[in-house]
Amino acid sequence: MAHCFGVRHFSPACAFYVGEFLERVKPKLVLIEGPSDLSGLIEQFCVKEAVLPAAILAYTEQPPVRTVLYPFAEFSPEYRAILWARKNGAEVRFCDLPSGCALEYYARQNAPENEPDPEERESVYERIEQMTGLDNDTFWEYNFEQAESLDELLDAVREYGKGLREFSPDDEHNALREAYMRKVIHEAEQTVPTEKIAVITGAFHTGGLDGVAFSEEDARLTENILAQKSLSTLMPYSYYRLSRRSGYGAGSRAPGFYEILWNNRLCGKQQAAAEYLARIAEGQRKRGFSASSAEVIEALRLAETLAEMRGGKQPSLADLRDAAVTCMGHGSFGEISVSCADIEIGAKIGSLPEGSISTSVQQDFLRQLSELKLDRYRTATAEELKLDLRENLRVKSEKSAFLDLNRSFLLHRLRVLDIGFGVLQNNVSDNEHTEIWQLRWSPECEIRLVEASLIGGDTIEQACALRLAELLYSAESLPVAAKVLGDAFLCGITGTVKTAVLAVQKLAVDCVSAADCGKTIGTLSAIIRFGSLRRLDTEPLLELLQQLFLRFCLSLMGESVCDENAAHELMSAISAVNDAALSHTELSEERLLRLLTELADSDMASPLLSGFACAVLTDRGKLPSEKLSELISRRLSKGTPPAEGALWFEGLAAKNRRALIARLSLWEKLCSFIAELSDEEFKPALVCLRRTFSVFSPSEKADIAENIGEVLGISAQTAAEIIAAPMTDEERETISGLDDFDFDEI
Amino acid sequence: MSEILRLPAEALYKPELDALIENEMNPVPAGWKMSPKSVLTYICGGKAGKTEITPKYMGDKRLVEICIATLLTDRALLLIGEPGTAKSWLSEHLAAAINGKSSQVIQGTAGTTEEQIRYSWNYAMLLAQGPSFNSLVKSPVYTAMETGTICRFEEISRCASEVQDALISILSEKRISIPELSEEVPAQKGFTIIATANTRDKGVNEMSSALKRRFNIVVLPTPADIDTEIDIVTTRVKQLSSGFGLNAEIPDRSTVERVVTIFRELRAGQTLDGQQKLKPTTGVLSSAEEISLLVNSMALAGSFGSGKVTDAELAAALQGAIVKDDAKDKAAWTEYLENVMRKRGKAFAGLYAECTERNG
Repeated sequence: MAHCFGVRHFSPACAFYVGEFLERVKPKLVLIEGPSDLSGLIEQFCVKEAVLPAAILAYTEQPPVRTVLYPFAEFSPEYRAILWARKNGAEVRFCDLPSGCALEYYARQNAPENEPDPEERESVYERIEQMTGLDNDTFWEYNFEQAESLDELLDAVREYGKGLREFSPDDEHNALREAYMRKVIHEAEQTVPTEKIAVITGAFHTGGLDGVAFSEEDARLTENILAQKSLSTLMPYSYYRLSRRSGYGAGSRAPGFYEILWNNRLCGKQQAAAEYLARIAEGQRKRGFSASSAEVIEALRLAETLAEMRGGKQPSLADLRDAAVTCMGHGSFGEISVSCADIEIGAKIGSLPEGSISTSVQQDFLRQLSELKLDRYRTATAEELKLDLRENLRVKSEKSAFLDLNRSFLLHRLRVLDIGFGVLQNNVSDNEHTEIWQLRWSPECEIRLVEASLIGGDTIEQACALRLAELLYSAESLPVAAKVLGDAFLCGITGTVKTAVLAVQKLAVDCVSAADCGKTIGTLSAIIRFGSLRRLDTEPLLELLQQLFLRFCLSLMGESVCDENAAHELMSAISAVNDAALSHTELSEERLLRLLTELADSDMASPLLSGFACAVLTDRGKLPSEKLSELISRRLSKGTPPAEGALWFEGLAAKNRRALIARLSLWEKLCSFIAELSDEEFKPALVCLRRTFSVFSPSEKADIAENIGEVLGISAQTAAEIIAAPMTDEERETISGLDDFDFDEI
Repeated sequence: MSEILRLPAEALYKPELDALIENEMNPVPAGWKMSPKSVLTYICGGKAGKTEITPKYMGDKRLVEICIATLLTDRALLLIGEPGTAKSWLSEHLAAAINGKSSQVIQGTAGTTEEQIRYSWNYAMLLAQGPSFNSLVKSPVYTAMETGTICRFEEISRCASEVQDALISILSEKRISIPELSEEVPAQKGFTIIATANTRDKGVNEMSSALKRRFNIVVLPTPADIDTEIDIVTTRVKQLSSGFGLNAEIPDRSTVERVVTIFRELRAGQTLDGQQKLKPTTGVLSSAEEISLLVNSMALAGSFGSGKVTDAELAAALQGAIVKDDAKDKAAWTEYLENVMRKRGKAFAGLYAECTERNG
């Protein structure tokens, strides 16, 4: 019979002993669990330039794109077997179902995650946990990973595989896979003596292959297997993706740690535990925490005691981590989490020789270019493309009606992914329904597309969604997160919007600044108003907007006691919130008006903000005339410091100047206010007044002059004459004297 | 029934401890009464022979494992957590199971002196006989070292730092020196210290890093899921109210659930479904507060109300428990009411109205 060796994918112990096993068996043919139609790719793994982790990727030719991945790392037993076979001149082939069949299977399962094993398998692991009191990984590490000889491992794994089969429900797909593998073995036996064949598969399958003959039933089962047309490629992989187990049920939660185990196996040492803890300590020191050697020693002792209590020879990863938390993290995982992630997962990324990669993301890009009629822009010369995002009513099909919108989605997605194909030329909020792009293709774009495949995801859209999620995860301030949210809208990826809303909401709680809050309200309000153009559901944003609005209203009063610079920022925030409240009835207008009334009347708040609150209320017709007069008298009275009075006036004049100009009593007050200032007081007030009036238009200024004329008892006509009259020499001299006035001195 | 208000753990659970010792199957470490596995069973519940062992600590079993493993090495154990997370409870039961004695305790206060940690003198004897072992008054730490047992140190961060530092040499050299007698007393095998500290006291008397280094630190969390917490609260409210004779109905499960939900959400800073982050308030919101809040509402309802806890009583108690004298708490509470409770629908509608009115 053929010699079977059951392994756990990504197990350093299995990888270490598979060589010894093959050496003992001396096979002429090595069969490995992997898509039998892709045996041709094995060669590419072994070229000199290839650095693992790498994966075989198979994907459907036609959308919807589905993929199936077969990743390998340095410490994959399968990879070590391949290397052994090549060194010893044995033939090596894959023996599992062809990739097309796997794709067909997942298509029928319609699973969002292409788990090779059905979900019931998870419950098998849960049962192991219940029986042994150990989680699956720890159970494996204690009983298998720490094996000290090949025979010990073989025996243990055989039992493990049997146990798994016993507790797993019958599964058609696994039965089919095993029937197929039996068929491949049977066929191989026609040319190679059966004792010269070695079969390397998952431990689960050995029970179905070892000593089980190919039968009539198997022949019937494997006769007509449904398959989808597929393409395949080799692609670089990363430890991060391995740890996520994306696209492959049997990934590895801690590839970085397993690499430590593997290296220790290679040099015949048993220092993995010490190395892990020492590297955590190193990571902690790099991040500015203290971590002494004494702590490492204590952690190692604790980890060993923990392992002993649970029946392990060496500490498992869980023991090590718990010990590190207790001794180096002062009891909290958060303190060492970053170092843990660095060491357990690691940042290793594989690489493959250029030109050998053709991923599904690249294919998706080409397909979308032709679908959206953008093919001709794929040249080295820069060309401009103008998009009108509105529905084109002159065409019949929906596809062409929204051609430009879909183009915009694609280009924005490429922009987020940093492909460098298109550059947006205009500011989106300037003109809501036109976008101008400059498109230019370069070889770098191709490389970046491959990099984008590495992020994960099978299509541009999925890759973009993942990138946005990553950005969100690392966003530390409200405006950054809000920008990602905006990007999600521009890219038309509604799935991300929900997470983005959550992230923005989360940051909004931590962010106490009302100014940031107001700014974000402005951004969100704009997205909601233009959302319909992109045909997106803005409902979740509205809720977020309400929350931010409430937060703004609650924190504004406290923050409005501030200096002039901060007040200017808050002023634009108030203005943005006011605009938002006007366009969204969902925001409680009553709450805002109550707040502004309080602010307008407050002597504690920055005068600029009080003045501005008056302006907003007047603008909305919510401030009774008498109240305004009262405020004007109080603010511009003798008791108020002149600089504050002028600042208040600046706030008041920042909005709806026409209404102010018409109010004669205001100018009367202002005149007497200025007239009563002493020289010393006049200078600081002048700064604010000058700034205030600098934004008035000439005609507005003329109107003000007329008003003042009236206050001073000069009729409009006379005033106009004075203003229009040519300057006398005397006046010219006075004015040129003013040029020497240095505002910096004040 | 005993007239003693509160019995120590080893007296209260004597049958269980005896059963565990009787059915011991694993090796027992030096100075211990039972094996580490049996200690774990005593704390987390299980069976010893035919005796049912009640769980003493309802929480992460793994944390208890780490505590026991720490005590197996010669390290001291420091339990840290929010008020009301069963730190002292766990330390008492650990000592009871390992030594059969949980009464060697030092209570840390601002007035704790170094003598209380090392030793002091019986001055009458000192004057009469001069310095000798007879005139020495031993501290619990001293006794623990002599007998190779565990000494508990409650609220260690409440003592002055100088006093805490007296522990450094005891923990690293495992001996206590008596210069007056030119003697040194070495610790017997099995000696260690279990200290507890409160996270809310952080910064009151920050532990020196030299001392911290000598402890393995385990952080005890608040109850992991809402059902456990509701059970804990309901059980305790029942026990307490029967003791006080409050003339009010025990609040039904939905009332308890509402209170626990609000507390858990404010404590965690996010809603139960994790969909929304919240601004946490400054006050302590532990299960102990939930219990006293409900008992207070019952006292109110029983003495001045209808005898049934209504939304009005709850709202008043909640306002008091959540909004301490801080304007920030009030803003956070308003936000919670508007963003979360208002959208919860019928079950919370009455409470929302009452709370909003009170919060103004």
